[in-house]
Amino acid sequence: MPTKLEKILEVQGLKKYFNAPRTSLFSREELHVHAVDGVNLTLRRSEVIALVGESGCGKSTLGLLLMGLEEPTDGSIIFEGQDITHLNDHERKSLRRKIQMVFQDPYESLNPTQTIGEIITEPLIVHGIGVNEQERHERVVKAMEDAGLKPADVYLNRYPHELSGGQRQRVVIAAALVLEPEILVADEPVSMLDVSIRAEVINLLAELRITRQIAVIFITHDLGSVGFFADRVAVMYLGRIVEIGTMLEVLEKPKHPYTRALLSVIPVPNPRLRHERIILKGETPNPINIPGGCRFHPRCPIAVDVCKISDPPMRDFSKMHQSACLLSDDSK
Amino acid sequence: MQTTLQSDSTQNETTKRTETFVQTFSKSHTGLVGFWMLVIVVVAAVFAPWITPYEQSSSTSVGVEDIYQPPSVDHWFGTDDAGQDVFTNFIFGSRVSLTVGFFAAFISIMIGGLVGLIAGFFGGRWENTLMRFTDIMLVIPELPLLVVIVALTQPSLSNIILVIGLLGWTTTARVVRSQTLAVKSRKFVLRARAIGAGKFHILRRHILPLVMPILVIQAVLSISLAILNESTLSFIGLGDPAALSWGQMLNFAFGRGAMSAGAWWALVVPGFGIVWVVLSLTLLGQGLEQVLNPRLDTHHLMPGKPAIQKEAGAKPHHPDAVLEVQNLSIHYVNEGKKPARAVENISLTLRQGELLGLVGESGCGKTTLMLALLKLLPAAGQIVNGNIFYDGKDLAAMNEAELNQVRWSRISIVFQGAMNALNPVRTVGDQIAEAILQHDPSFAKDKIPARVSELLELVGITSEQRDHYPHQYSGGMRQRAMIAMALACEPQIIIADEPTTALDVMIQAQILELLDSLRKKLGLSVIFVTHDLGVVAELCDHVLVMYGGVTAEYAGVDVVYNDPKHPYTQELLKAFPDLTKPKKKLSSIPGYPPRLDNLPAGCRFAPRCPRAFAPCHITEPKLYTLKDNHAVSCHLIEGANAN
Repeated sequence: MPTKLEKILEVQGLKKYFNAPRTSLFSREELHVHAVDGVNLTLRRSEVIALVGESGCGKSTLGLLLMGLEEPTDGSIIFEGQDITHLNDHERKSLRRKIQMVFQDPYESLNPTQTIGEIITEPLIVHGIGVNEQERHERVVKAMEDAGLKPADVYLNRYPHELSGGQRQRVVIAAALVLEPEILVADEPVSMLDVSIRAEVINLLAELRITRQIAVIFITHDLGSVGFFADRVAVMYLGRIVEIGTMLEVLEKPKHPYTRALLSVIPVPNPRLRHERIILKGETPNPINIPGGCRFHPRCPIAVDVCKISDPPMRDFSKMHQSACLLSDDSK
Repeated sequence: MQTTLQSDSTQNETTKRTETFVQTFSKSHTGLVGFWMLVIVVVAAVFAPWITPYEQSSSTSVGVEDIYQPPSVDHWFGTDDAGQDVFTNFIFGSRVSLTVGFFAAFISIMIGGLVGLIAGFFGGRWENTLMRFTDIMLVIPELPLLVVIVALTQPSLSNIILVIGLLGWTTTARVVRSQTLAVKSRKFVLRARAIGAGKFHILRRHILPLVMPILVIQAVLSISLAILNESTLSFIGLGDPAALSWGQMLNFAFGRGAMSAGAWWALVVPGFGIVWVVLSLTLLGQGLEQVLNPRLDTHHLMPGKPAIQKEAGAKPHHPDAVLEVQNLSIHYVNEGKKPARAVENISLTLRQGELLGLVGESGCGKTTLMLALLKLLPAAGQIVNGNIFYDGKDLAAMNEAELNQVRWSRISIVFQGAMNALNPVRTVGDQIAEAILQHDPSFAKDKIPARVSELLELVGITSEQRDHYPHQYSGGMRQRAMIAMALACEPQIIIADEPTTALDVMIQAQILELLDSLRKKLGLSVIFVTHDLGVVAELCDHVLVMYGGVTAEYAGVDVVYNDPKHPYTQELLKAFPDLTKPKKKLSSIPGYPPRLDNLPAGCRFAPRCPRAFAPCHITEPKLYTLKDNHAVSCHLIEGANAN
């Protein structure tokens, strides 16, 4: 299904290096944190991509780059045919309407001194949308109802602290929807929520991509939480996508040993299905010193000598499925 | 029509905001006292001509006999060196002091606020320049500078105001800058940027409202500082001769022989005025801080009286259990508030080597229950009923000294968020050594390093990392260090309170594997508290599902996952993504968990329960026990196969 739809976002060779704090007062050596280190990705209209990886893999930085909240070091971002890698403030502002973001912590991402009505109206005022109070009010109510805050009147004059976590996340989503964006970057939108209400936020996002044709980039460390609604999964490790494919292909035939390990440790809520887990030793290495060769080799359970030398390119396993591992064979 | 409605509702909103402010403020006694003290002064200053018995400076015919008259019916506070009525001058003097205070503070707050906002918000070069300038201003002793400048300029009231105002902004600038920095780093500011808001919009709508409370407090304190400065200047003779302030009254009295004449009133009265105003402003500032500074919020709750109604003579039912909790109820009792029934009637049994999963959503009382096991509850938390049997003794009935024998050495806790639980300025090895010595002072000193290394090795940390500081550890390592610390005294039971919640899935898997291997190796019993049903399925023997402070379901792990009887457990399992059926839509439980100070009547889950029927909304279900000790609190069980 997604292949037929037009591409709306294309990312090529995207890099973001931060200057690392110097190790000593006298060292002159300049170190860089390779937060995002060459990412290629395309997104189609109303497609949902899950961006999965452990903390420190660069997935959140990638989200901020797409939003233009961080300036890339290298590479390009094309949105609907227009290069948006570097924009001035004015161009950036008009682009903001098209790409919106949902943050992880609904307790922190709402200003406690604003009412829900003020929060959701604010984007319209910032962009000068709506000729009068009434038109803005109608847009706000529409966005709120689409975000499941029904009836809107009940919430308009409330403050964030009066709402539960799930309701707050809906407010954040409504404040994004009111601008009628085409892409929603959702950075761990449910990880702070209780299990019983996670599903409703995910279901809401799943609905929006159908009713409003919104494409979603869903950033998460928990593959399990997006399994059912993502079209494609991109697995990130140390600043790069190491495997990308349709949800089913990746779940059923993971090619990269990192993906296999990640899948094996997802908790299964059934003791009868206890299975062998591939528990990787150690943690994601420091992105200041990226290991030579395959960046995953120090933790890889199947690494051989050649992995220490040669950095594997992405290889095609099917039309939609690519992975960067020298060892994964096509038959598997 | 629409617009009027809109503006009406905004007006209501503003009234509501003011109302809550007034309500909270009126609870602060210091603030109220300060407020009314200040009101008295302001009223006196405004209505001075009507209050005073004489006109100011009405010393038409001054005779020697009028000078330094003691207090009398004609002159309540006596007369001064010029034969003028001290009471009249005192009341009029408040006008000068308040004028100087308000205007000088206004200047300081405007400058300090602006400097702080710009430095904090724009950062970089702005911040460097402005803050270095502020630092220089702070280093120069303020009072001598004040004296020099005022002495060099015309000693007029407006000059004094200007000079005091221009020198008094530095503290405000620093305070505002740090608050701006704190607000700027919050996520809603990032969200505003993502919306496309410009810098000035963000400053005005997001930063300023949260800096405002600090600014108000600073303003109150600045007024009192300005009044003090003015008094000092006037006292040393640098005041405006045309404006008789309290400081000047002191100056005249002091310089013109009030002391030798024994006319104490000429000194005490203006001094009292200064103390009164400064005290009122300080109290007001304190009161405002209590209301406006959110960080001080919860500290003002006073724990209420407990209502303990414990049955005597309870005995453990399962002598083979290492820990047995019987009918434990814990309420949070705050003065003037409804008690929150955080935990009610919970019973559980923990056996040697058992891993018990305690599952529930946030606010279901699971952490309260765990803290109660070691009586580490905050002051308002009271065990109102029940027993906690460990080793045949009831922990709930023990005093602090007895509990300290059990805490950590027999039952220890691993908390969520290891970063906050470790001391950042001491090495990890040091902190583990301390934990050992704390509970066993007789431990041979020379054997401690070996023991610390042994403990760290047990959790997978090499001995070279022993002398590292917590910030050199990653999140997963810190949690391992916390586990090592919990093992320091060879406890029998470990309570792990959401130990993996903030961690990545892979690190979570590592920690779970570690806990599991430790319990097998050391024969530990573990209570694993989590909100994640999936986590416990992997390694638990028994699972207790809590909802709204009560047991929903308690059974062996296989029963809970494959034959759950409580609708909450069933719904929770459905809400869980199952990767074996990836395209299945997730179901969520409508509504939200109840607030523990406002529980629904009947079953606490009834408002969200898809299978609720009439009785569920009226009576609380009792805990039914099915075969194999499968406990369920649900009305659906009755009539089915209950005993």
